[in-house]
Parts: sequence; C-alpha cells; structure tokens
Amino acid sequence: MMWLGVWMVLVGLTLGVVIGLNVPLVIPQVYGKYLGIAILAATDSVFGGIRAGMEESFDNAIFLSGFVANTLLAAGLVFIGDRLGVELYTAAVVAFGVRLFQNLAAIRRKLIKK
Amino acid sequence: MKQETLSVAAVAFILALLVTIQLRVVNQPPAEIMPATRAHELTVELQRLEEAAASLRQEAKDLQQKLLTATQGYAQAEAALKTEIEKNKIQAGLVPMEGPGVEVIVSDKPAEGPPEMKRYLFTVRDEDILRIVNELWGAGAEAIAINGQRLVSMSEIRVAGTFINVNLNRITPPYVITAIGDPDVLQGTLEMEGGVAETLRKWGINFVVEKKERVEVPAYEGPMAFRYAKPIKEGAEE
Repeated sequence: MMWLGVWMVLVGLTLGVVIGLNVPLVIPQVYGKYLGIAILAATDSVFGGIRAGMEESFDNAIFLSGFVANTLLAAGLVFIGDRLGVELYTAAVVAFGVRLFQNLAAIRRKLIKK
Repeated sequence: MKQETLSVAAVAFILALLVTIQLRVVNQPPAEIMPATRAHELTVELQRLEEAAASLRQEAKDLQQKLLTATQGYAQAEAALKTEIEKNKIQAGLVPMEGPGVEVIVSDKPAEGPPEMKRYLFTVRDEDILRIVNELWGAGAEAIAINGQRLVSMSEIRVAGTFINVNLNRITPPYVITAIGDPDVLQGTLEMEGGVAETLRKWGINFVVEKKERVEVPAYEGPMAFRYAKPIKEGAEE
C-alpha cells in the first residue's frame, strides 16, 4: 500500500513535468512572480502534509483544501498587493518560508526520533 | 486510503506542473519579454525628451520674439536714416521746395539810346543779381532760385561774355528771382530806402517785387563733386 502511494507520487510528478514542458502556453515573466509564490505555498502545503502523515494526523480534506487555498491565496494576495502598491510578495515569501522551514524541522526531528 | 493516495498524486502532479512552467518562465530568453526596468527606463526617457522638447519650443518662441524685436529695431533705424537723408537733402538744396515768399523780376529797360550805352549802363549785371540775392539771404530767405536755377552752396553768379551764368547755366533777362521766406521782410529789405531796389531803379532798371502766398523753388540738379575737399575727422590732429 505504501509502495502504491510512492508510485502514484512518482507518476504524478513525471506526468506534471512532461505536460509542463510541452504546454504551448508561455506565461509572461511579469506573472512568473505570482506563479513562484504559488509554488512556494504549494511546497509548504506538501511538507505540511508529510509532517501530518508522520504525526499520524493526516486529513485528506485539510491537506487538499490547504494546498489549493494556500496556492491561490498566496498568488492572489501578492497580485492584489501589487495593484495596491504594497509589497505583499515579501510578506508571503517570509510567511511561507518560515512555515516551510518549521515543517522541515519537524520532519527532521521525527526522522531522528524514529 | 485510496482517496488519500489519489490526492497526494494529484498534488504531486500539480506541483510538478507548476514548477516546470515556472522554470520555463524564468528561463525565457530576455528578448521575448520586456523587463519592467526597461519599460521604466523608456518611460523616464520619454518624459525627459518631452521636457526637452517643451523647453526647446519655449526657446524657439523666445528667439522668434527677439528676432521680431530686432526686425522692428532695424525698421526704425531705417526710417530714422531715411528721415536724416531727407533732411540733409533739403539742407543741401536737392529737394524742390514751396512756401510763401517773393518773386523779384529784374529786367533791362527798353533801349532808348545807342546799343553801346545800353549795354554798359542800363543792363542788369551779375553784381546786381548778387546784391539782390545777398539781401534776400540776409533777410532770412530759405531757398532762392534764379530763372529756375536753385542757389546752393556751390552756385556761382558771374558774367560769362554777355550773359550771366548761374550753376554753369546761361540765364537771360528778364531775371526772375524766387525766394521763400517771410514775404514782408524780404520785400521790406529790398524796398528799403537807399536799398537795392532804389539803386537799381535809379540806374534805369525795371525792378518789380511781388509778395506771393506760394512760390516754388526747384531742386538743384547740377553736379556736386568733392574732388579736393575731404571731411576732417573729429578728434584728429593735423
């Protein structure tokens, strides 16, 4: 069952890379900023999910909603910030970055304690 | 469990997709896109050029104004010069003049004796004309002409053979001397007791002075060359 999950993840990653490399649409670099912050939020959610899984408190609904909501909200807030002339980008990077490192730290401790 | 695996796979797929697209965006060749800094630079440049254009337009306007002023000054100077030239011409006697004055007609009396007598005694001589003219100048005449010959600074009145020359032109009797000035003063000077008129009449010459409201004196038309005389420069020492 565990191996199936790993396989599914690998298949998802590969599929994403292949499709991502082949989509004809190219996003202008101006919007690359929003995509970047969305990726940061998504990564944070993923590490949060891994941590939850290690703590045996993984909840599929929370994981999925957190992933989607964090990604969209992060990009959306930065976009609105730019329209208002507020550098929300920095705030988002710091917030998600800190959470990312906290999650990483928690995963590291769990691995060591095992 | 199955659902969780699927969601994890979906999340992995989306994450991979996003990262790949982002990598492509970041690695885009710079030629395809317009960096924000470049746009900003261009905006600043445009603004700078617009300001320069505005200031140049202002400068052009100023210069045009100056040119206009200069042209006006030129026109004024030209007008002043013309006025000056006109004045000088009037003073030199190169302009026909009119005004109140007198007309003096001097002529020989019809001959009564032998022609030799007439010629030497009762004809009008250059000296008589000179005396009349002198009296007229003295009485304030401003312009004098003899038989249509304007008297200027170089005019001569002299006998040449049996005729009198004025301005190198031969004049013949009757001599009509036209003078512009105060008619009363001019006439008074000539008709004064013991004056020219009396003297000439005694000699038997017809002498008529007529006061006129308006007489005309023509312009001097002869040559006026200065071959020897040169103006002395002010401040120059001999």
